[in-house]
Amino acid sequence: MWSSKRTIAAGDTVIVWMTRDSLEPLVVTPNAVLHNKWGQYPHNAFIGLPYGSKVRSSAPSNSGRGGPSGGFLYILRPTPELWTLALPHRTQILYIADISFVVNWLNIGPGKRVVEAGTGSGSFSHSVARTVGREGRLFTFEFHEQRAMKAKAEFEKHGLSPGLVTLQHRNVCKDGFGEGIADSIDAVFLDLPAPWEAIPHAKKVLRKDGVARICCFSPCIEQVIRTVTALNDAGFSEITMFETLQRPIEVSSTPKLASIEDAADRLKAAEIKREEKRLRQIAQNREKEALDKALAEGGGSGSSGAGKRKQSEGDEDGEGGEGENGEGDVKRAKTQSSTTPEEREGEKEEEGLPRVPVLTTREIKMPVPARSKSGKYDMEGKIAVSKALPEVRGHTSYLTFACLVPYAYALAQGEKKGTGAVVEVKEVVNGITPSTETKGEGENEKSAEPEPEVKVGDA
Amino acid sequence: MSSSSQSLVQHGHSVLVRIAKGDIRHIKAEENGTAVIPKFGSFLCNDLIGQPYGLTYEIVGKNLKLLPPRLLQEVEDTDATNELISDGQLVQPLTLDEIKELKQSGAHSSDIIQKQIENHANFALKTEYSKEKYKKRKEAKYSKTFTTIEPTIFNVCEYWFAKDQTRIRDIRSDSLGQILNLANIHPGGRFLVVEDASGIVASAILKRLGGDGQLLAICDTESPPAFPVMQQLNLTPDEIKPLRSLNWATALQDYNPIVPPSDLAPGEIRSERQKSRLKKRKNMNDALENTRQELFAGEFDGLVIATEYDPYSVIERLAPFLGGSAPIVVHSPYIQILSDLQAKLRNMPQYLSPSVTEGWLRRYQILPGRTHPMMAMSGSGGFILHALKVIENPVREEIPAVSAEAADAEMQGGDASEDAMVVDEKTE
Repeated sequence: MWSSKRTIAAGDTVIVWMTRDSLEPLVVTPNAVLHNKWGQYPHNAFIGLPYGSKVRSSAPSNSGRGGPSGGFLYILRPTPELWTLALPHRTQILYIADISFVVNWLNIGPGKRVVEAGTGSGSFSHSVARTVGREGRLFTFEFHEQRAMKAKAEFEKHGLSPGLVTLQHRNVCKDGFGEGIADSIDAVFLDLPAPWEAIPHAKKVLRKDGVARICCFSPCIEQVIRTVTALNDAGFSEITMFETLQRPIEVSSTPKLASIEDAADRLKAAEIKREEKRLRQIAQNREKEALDKALAEGGGSGSSGAGKRKQSEGDEDGEGGEGENGEGDVKRAKTQSSTTPEEREGEKEEEGLPRVPVLTTREIKMPVPARSKSGKYDMEGKIAVSKALPEVRGHTSYLTFACLVPYAYALAQGEKKGTGAVVEVKEVVNGITPSTETKGEGENEKSAEPEPEVKVGDA
Repeated sequence: MSSSSQSLVQHGHSVLVRIAKGDIRHIKAEENGTAVIPKFGSFLCNDLIGQPYGLTYEIVGKNLKLLPPRLLQEVEDTDATNELISDGQLVQPLTLDEIKELKQSGAHSSDIIQKQIENHANFALKTEYSKEKYKKRKEAKYSKTFTTIEPTIFNVCEYWFAKDQTRIRDIRSDSLGQILNLANIHPGGRFLVVEDASGIVASAILKRLGGDGQLLAICDTESPPAFPVMQQLNLTPDEIKPLRSLNWATALQDYNPIVPPSDLAPGEIRSERQKSRLKKRKNMNDALENTRQELFAGEFDGLVIATEYDPYSVIERLAPFLGGSAPIVVHSPYIQILSDLQAKLRNMPQYLSPSVTEGWLRRYQILPGRTHPMMAMSGSGGFILHALKVIENPVREEIPAVSAEAADAEMQGGDASEDAMVVDEKTE
């Protein structure tokens, strides 16, 4: 599966990482050139580099952006997880949270034999193929012919040999999974619109000599209810259902949060400054008054002096003066200017609406941490803070699980050997009263017929 | 039909059993031994050994009786409501002593419950759902049935998480699954693990390696780490084979571990016993040195961290031994630790796109007509940071890395990182 060599060779499938949200699969082809927004990258430049290399553009992009060493990208080794982010979507695909949970619950591991229907875009298939390894097998079924062909070509390109992954174009709801794999499968995964139709077929291929597991992946609760009924009728037990999600967390760094002591100190300083200014203005006015008086005594009338006197009294109360003084304190000036639109609505102002003090955002805004010359943030004096993203995936699908336990097998083994656990058929159906209704192998065949279950609309 | 190896209860296995109440207990299957489940019952282990996992038994005397798997039962909807049932009213004339007597007389649990139902004043008034619930509750109390649980990674993780989640550092089953996938654990791979989560991570990786590959655990103890979780997984000797361990001192490249001498001049060897002791010593010393060289050879396929030590110090030390494109996966119960780590790593060119996520898992009760999320759910299964190791200034394989060229590449790297920053800002 994919290349496990240290370095990139011609013909390798690689994942090109451009940004966090832009990843693309690529087959390294000699003399081909990759173009993107930020530049041009000849494939030849990738060959011989170790996987995980950062590659800089060799020339500007066609639109003239970037340039030599302008853009860069990373050539990564494909993994099923990267493939999930980069793959061409043919259908709605499964993501890491669901994939990893299903693989874990179904006990998919080295050497296991797994059935999947449908193949879809192959997101789950790659993960299973990786995990079962060379000793395991994946049988995957897709009823859409074109999708099946595309997936087949993809598997071949990725080195998922038919010995490891077998893909069949087949409608498993109608035609089952085939006789060839009967009683041999450890786990079945059904991502189908009507999984209940495939459940009786799934039972046929699951192993009977050990715990076999099944998972049905359905987005709607109505589908789950029909699935549960079908699983129960087919003799599956331990039926349970989960929902799982992966919440992305956004981390950013900000300066250490300021203390209110700082705010108090700043306010105190501003008060002192304002008081100093007021006293200075009074002194200036007195000086001016004295000067005016001296000038008036020198030949002017006495009437204008009374007016000036009045104004300077107002100043003493600290009510005016800003307009005359250009270098007033910034905060007051800002508050003043932000009320201007209000003042334009002269009538409102006159009605005596209270003036709401407007907070300026300048003081509380966190400055962007400066990068040092080496391109690293200086974490000195800063803290990392984290929060959930504002919008996250809220639902993917319900994961309905069940087990097929080897009861009949153990019963037969016990009878054969005459040892081990005492066996005695006594039906317990979710209650304490022994029931006369026995759900044996024969019963289950019947239950494949239309079941008298809750009628639900099409999913 | 050929199928992969069967999972049978074997002598020496640690077996998880779920008793009627829903609790999971742990017993040891010893040949000719008796398994005791406290406050529940005891039985002869031989009845269990050789049986496939996943089956349900009832304890009858000291023996086990195989029961068919429990299926769901459709409950018929009726018009009954609790309108006429008053609270606090004495409804059960059967006294505790009478029930005890019944139990001692050897009555089957179903008989006792039947008797309780017959005597119950309001049983007929209950809704069918309520009757179900009553029977189930009583059954859980008196029934002597249990089910063996196959020791899968999932089941063992659930068992430990329910028992004491702090001992496995809050690694819930969904988080563990994500760790294994994000780290790209696969048969044949070579991985580094640093964990003090009772071995849940190391054991799960070993299980996923299937005996093929290499797992090097670096620990803070002088002797190889004790991984108690490994016991429940019942790993085979073949599955444990890929495990090696070093500690933080022996993992240092410029440190010469102080080991007792294994070579003595032939004249100094006084006895055969001493000779064999020296040989044993030499084997141990050689094994340690081999493991060290395996680490220093580098090119590991992934690094998984779930430790109380500063994860950055671990990454700083071990990332040089990772191959290009290798995943680094760190789990922590605390978001602060991973936030700080992310803030550091994202400015270091050798780590690509470190991202932090939290798992969310909700389980449902699914009974016919009574499907809803469980009333209680786990608050957190911890946080995961995931990044890839990348090579900022790669050297092409064909070109021998001459020192002058390497220095040249270093210089170019300095320039390029400036350029990269420009682009970085554009793309963000």
